[in-house]
Amino acid sequence: MKKASFPRRASAVAVAAALALGAGPALAQLKSYDSSKPSFWQNPPPDWFLGDETEEMKGLAPPVGPATPTPLAELQENLKRIKLPPGFKIEVWAHGIPEARQMAWGDNGTLFVGSFGATNVYAVTERDGKRSVATILKGLNMPTGVAFRNGALYVVAIDKILRYDEAERQLENMPKPVVVYDDLPPYVAHGWKYLVMDKEGAMYFNVGVPFNIGIPPTSTAHIRRVHPNGMAELVALGVRNSVGGDIDPRTGQFWFTENARDWLSNDLPSDKLNRIGRVGEHFGYPYCHQGDLPDPKFAMGQKCESFTPPVLNLGAHVAPLGMKFYTGDMFPAEYKNSILIAEHGSWNRREYQGGRIKRVTADPDGKNAKQEIFAEGWITGKQDYAGRPADILQAKDGSILVADDWAGAIYRISYAK
Amino acid sequence: MRHVLAALAATVSVSAWAADIEAGRQRAEACVTCHGTEGITADPAIPSLAGQKERYLQWQLVFFRNGRRQSEIMGPLAATLSDEELRNLGAYFASLPRANPPAGAPDPVLHERGRQAAARHRCASCHLDDYGGSQAAPAVAHQTRTYTEKALRDYRGNARPSVGVAAMNEVAAGLSDEEIVALALYLENPG
Repeated sequence: MKKASFPRRASAVAVAAALALGAGPALAQLKSYDSSKPSFWQNPPPDWFLGDETEEMKGLAPPVGPATPTPLAELQENLKRIKLPPGFKIEVWAHGIPEARQMAWGDNGTLFVGSFGATNVYAVTERDGKRSVATILKGLNMPTGVAFRNGALYVVAIDKILRYDEAERQLENMPKPVVVYDDLPPYVAHGWKYLVMDKEGAMYFNVGVPFNIGIPPTSTAHIRRVHPNGMAELVALGVRNSVGGDIDPRTGQFWFTENARDWLSNDLPSDKLNRIGRVGEHFGYPYCHQGDLPDPKFAMGQKCESFTPPVLNLGAHVAPLGMKFYTGDMFPAEYKNSILIAEHGSWNRREYQGGRIKRVTADPDGKNAKQEIFAEGWITGKQDYAGRPADILQAKDGSILVADDWAGAIYRISYAK
Repeated sequence: MRHVLAALAATVSVSAWAADIEAGRQRAEACVTCHGTEGITADPAIPSLAGQKERYLQWQLVFFRNGRRQSEIMGPLAATLSDEELRNLGAYFASLPRANPPAGAPDPVLHERGRQAAARHRCASCHLDDYGGSQAAPAVAHQTRTYTEKALRDYRGNARPSVGVAAMNEVAAGLSDEEIVALALYLENPG
């Protein structure tokens, strides 16, 4: 293995040399990690998501959002800059929801919303035409994923799936949860999850790898399906970290977005949209990225042709999160079965991209896939956001809701001729 | 040209929705006893807030308000703040001119040691080359060394939280006492 040109801790010699050259306060040290050994993930470094820096990507780190949810007037001003296809309209649907992530409808019209570091689950309810937001659960370990079935709210918090029965009747005083599944690794790194339920109540979710790139420890790097009786199977292998998925209404097959590795370059590799055609397919991680790019350290002689290629490469560092097949009647007819994808946007890229909503059309077998930008305008500078789309949910009337975890808001996108 | 237009657009969008500095100034009357009338303190144990980064100040007030950063004085004060007041306070203190570095030459050996420690721990990655801060990463230049030392020790001992991931708790975990002293002296006047 080629040694990085700069060690992680500069040697005394390197420091002395840099001083002799009269370097400024920042020496040009590049971080590098040996993530090939178990010691790396058994005791992950605090900056676990970092990788071997390149000169072009030096010093990049995930941006910190606003301390408080963006006020309504500012949200409305932000939305004036969002570009949509003709006939579509975006408005603020709810606000004051810190770090809003996955959304799920209750049977009686309550919108449940998970969150990232805020530890909360929220409920948005409407009474007498007035919409209000309440924090119904607090103190959970990254409760990003929520689902609803038979009157019960399901919440996934890293290594536990919790069920709150009769949730909509007890919003003010939520019942004690039942742990329905906890055979999961404890890693917080890429351990936040979504929940997607099929018609039979089987739950699909991701189990991400606890680092950027390396040989995945056991019970990670896959999509898992847990049946209502608690039996589980690995339905997709070789997945780095998926942060959203949905079931194709045409076939019942599961499609999912996947965030590719960081620290290779600003423009490689591409994030992906995948389809599980056959249970147990391998999607390439860590050996091969974007269907055609062997990993420089971890390819280990494997050929990209051995793995299932993506339906579509979405672009480098666009960070696709929640996705939905559109099944409503409000949007123009050609939107039926289109996939709408919330792209959270970059951090590991000198100039951010993503931070928008994509529309993808593809045949049921994944062929003839095409993508176009559906909504954009949340990136406000080379490295700043006014908002970051995190999830998409269809409403009864065929409009869609978009969760924004940067601004702490939910938007509604509707269409009228 | 495109660059200029983009910069202009960014400026306009920010100023159009900047928090209310004047409202912040009025609300700050409770703060000036300790933090100084122009946000520059006389007591070296208390941080100057003048010219501090808006997003950093707002996060600290949120942490004081929700108890993740403990302080007998700041906790009760922050508990009474609304989101709007908290934003205004951040904007007000950020709008004030920063303190000058203290007069007099620092101990050159310790200063050099601090400079090397800052390079070794890559402080400038987030706080920028002039240590003037960026977004949620605060300005650390020209802060009193007494306060900076305490801040670094608090981060090291997890007595106060980082903003974001892989930030101060993680960085400070690897600092020795000697490095903390040297860093605090160096940052008081990085030159």
